[in-house]
Amino acid sequence: MRTSIISAENLSKHYKVPVREAGLKAATRSLFKRSYKTIKAVDEISFQIEPGEVVGFLGPNGAGKTTTLKMLSGLLFPTGGTPDVLGFQPSRRQAEFLSQITLVMGNRSQLAWDLPALDSFDLQRAIYGIPRGEFEKTRDEFIEMLEIKDLVKKPIRNLSLGERMKMEIVGSLLHRPKVLFLDEPTIGLDVTMQRRIRTFIADYNQRTGATVLLTSHYMADVEALCKRVLVIHNGRLLFDGDLSGLVDRFSAFKTIGVTLENGYGNFSQYGEVLNQEAGHVTLRIPREKTPEVTARILAEQPVDDLTVEDPPIEDVIEKVFAQNSAEA
Amino acid sequence: MLKTITLIWNYLRIGIANELQYRVNFFIQLLQSFIALGTGLIGLWLVFSHTTTLAGWTQPELLAVMGVYILVGGIIQSAIQPNMQRLMDEIQSGTLDFALTKPVDGQILVSIREFRFWQLTDVLVGSVVLTIAVIQLQEQFGPLQALSFAVALLLGGIMVYCFWLMLTTTAFWLIRIWELVNLFQGLYAAGRWPVSIYPNWLRLGLTFLVPVAFAVTVPAQALTNRLTSTTLPGALGVTILLMLLSRFIWKLGVRGYSGASA
Amino acid sequence: MKRYNDFYLTSMKIAILEQFQYRAQNYFYMVGVIVEPTIYLVVWSTIASQQGGSVGGYTPGALAAYYIVWTLVRQMNIVFTPYGWEDRIQHGRLSMELLRPMHPIHYDVSYFAGWKVVMILLWIPIAAGLALIFKPTLDPTWLQVIVFLVAIWGAYLVRTMIYAVLGLITLWTTRVSALFELIFALELILSGRFVPMTLMPGWVQRIAFYLPFQWTFFFPINALVGKVGPVELLSGLGMQLLWILIGVGIVNIVWHFGVRRFSAVGN
Repeated sequence: MRTSIISAENLSKHYKVPVREAGLKAATRSLFKRSYKTIKAVDEISFQIEPGEVVGFLGPNGAGKTTTLKMLSGLLFPTGGTPDVLGFQPSRRQAEFLSQITLVMGNRSQLAWDLPALDSFDLQRAIYGIPRGEFEKTRDEFIEMLEIKDLVKKPIRNLSLGERMKMEIVGSLLHRPKVLFLDEPTIGLDVTMQRRIRTFIADYNQRTGATVLLTSHYMADVEALCKRVLVIHNGRLLFDGDLSGLVDRFSAFKTIGVTLENGYGNFSQYGEVLNQEAGHVTLRIPREKTPEVTARILAEQPVDDLTVEDPPIEDVIEKVFAQNSAEA
Repeated sequence: MLKTITLIWNYLRIGIANELQYRVNFFIQLLQSFIALGTGLIGLWLVFSHTTTLAGWTQPELLAVMGVYILVGGIIQSAIQPNMQRLMDEIQSGTLDFALTKPVDGQILVSIREFRFWQLTDVLVGSVVLTIAVIQLQEQFGPLQALSFAVALLLGGIMVYCFWLMLTTTAFWLIRIWELVNLFQGLYAAGRWPVSIYPNWLRLGLTFLVPVAFAVTVPAQALTNRLTSTTLPGALGVTILLMLLSRFIWKLGVRGYSGASA
Repeated sequence: MKRYNDFYLTSMKIAILEQFQYRAQNYFYMVGVIVEPTIYLVVWSTIASQQGGSVGGYTPGALAAYYIVWTLVRQMNIVFTPYGWEDRIQHGRLSMELLRPMHPIHYDVSYFAGWKVVMILLWIPIAAGLALIFKPTLDPTWLQVIVFLVAIWGAYLVRTMIYAVLGLITLWTTRVSALFELIFALELILSGRFVPMTLMPGWVQRIAFYLPFQWTFFFPINALVGKVGPVELLSGLGMQLLWILIGVGIVNIVWHFGVRRFSAVGN
């Protein structure tokens, strides 16, 4: 008996694209003969997601994250594999299915440009057939949570990018979907706005138990919201599990920060010196040497304070991709 | 001067290479030209099923008008309109900066960047229609007519370019001018018929406001021996005036331009 | 059913609010539209005066009436063009529409319907101006006026369906501009857009009867300006209804297959 709300098995998406070289001669030649190449945007990805989970899709641009989301929301037919969302086959695009999901894409808008958001919200109500009482309750709830009471009356074109994104998100959740597909929802926003939106999504997930699939190339998004992470690169799934597990598995290093009582000594004997200024040194050492090195530093140096940290996740991810690109 | 010509040649090369990628477009474009031609011919035929002349123009003469109309239309669609469209888009989105900071005169650059090679099918079709019309006319047609036709065509073309440039330049101040462009494109369609059939007030507009008369009717007059001694010199005068005026307005617009984003 | 009603009204409301903000642009657009019939009017009036006062039964006054009413009918039958569909598909906006649990065409029909309300209001002073210049002769019965008011909406729906089918073809291939232009050309000749159908040779009129085009232009215009009896008026409305139903059917079939195709390639 399957309990997962989203399931993908050997999901694939291949494209055939024409290739041509530059120049007038090549252009004329292509008039007569075309050559093609198959691009594997998504290559045999499998995963199961339980109801209520908040899962992050991590990957560089072009990795296949958006393509996967589109297949799960019914916008694209998979080349291989049959996804299952809420018990429906997404590509059949049944009204009952569409009424329970939402897809938010960071750079595409569905609100009327010259009108206040309130008018667009009303249209959403009409499209999804939300009973008026329920609609008004939900709408006012969201407005209060995001503190946009005055902003909803201003035409969308007069709002800043961040304010617009808030409206988009509210508009996309008015029908209380059970599954949220968020594609780069905080792209282009400033730090405060990003935090606001993350809190809102986390809240929604807590209150309604909705399942959230989020793609981003901002680590902060994923760190703040997701316990579980799927790492995608070149269309393949590289990792599926806890965020902390990601660091453990792929990171071979730890960072040690040492604050000194006085002066500075020679730290290159312990490991790679990343940064050294009066009174403070940052070192990178192989993970397995951590106990040994920290013990030595404490014994041999006038240490005021010492911290042991995981490297920033960005570095980890970068290494993962670099590794895979080299192998690919 | 040489630099400008080399520049034009380079843009031409890129434009053609771009278009050659879409090989099917040639056939599509040719097909479209034929459809437009067919529609025009049906219109003419319908008119002449009810009458023998229209405002003094006979059927082969009207055919000549149509030929010029299609030919000039082809020139506008391949060389003038794409550049003006791009200029308008760049003014509206604030990306004109890229063109203005190049070491080439701004007006020249924005006028030669685009070239839709396949639209030349209209020039081809128009020329064929013209030739047929001239043969049917059986009137005196020698080097003099051919020369005055070429001159009229050249002047008319320059006038249309200047007019379009001025119209597009208003985007510097009005920003949203798409509807204005639409309006004047509609007015160009009036050139299908000799402007003498229009009421006086409209004829004036079609001569000096939107130089349709100079673009289509005058060259057609050259072909059908209707030119008076003052027509071509007058056309030259208006052309020079328009060139100066459009250059002036262009400079005015650029000076006030600052880009759409802060 | 009630939900669709609600949706249409809400969508029309949004269209009216938005388009009213753009009244300047809409005005310019309308003035641009008027150029076309003015050209036709001048050409045919010239012929009429040359032929001793009338051509094919149309005096310059009758021609003026035809082409001025033409401008209103034209405003009413402007619909989302096949090029618009192509653009929408290429720029990924169709994806946004596909995520809604409602067929995109409902949005198009309702939005344009709301837009027309604004256009009709803006049209009235322009029509008055045209009437002053060209002095039309017009003398319809009450039944003609009522049928006209219904027929202009019928024309809108017929034309929506025709161009929706064409536009949906772009889900399979984008190389269809020649096909579009061909249909536009056919429409120009066979719909009464260029000339009243009664000025066409008999055999053309017979062909045009079996095509949907003349029910988008000539029928509504003629219902108001011509000498038409009740039987002809009502059977004309019937033909419009028939074409709407045929259109809806074809759109549904094409859409069903088109979406499958789009989802294979996507944007």
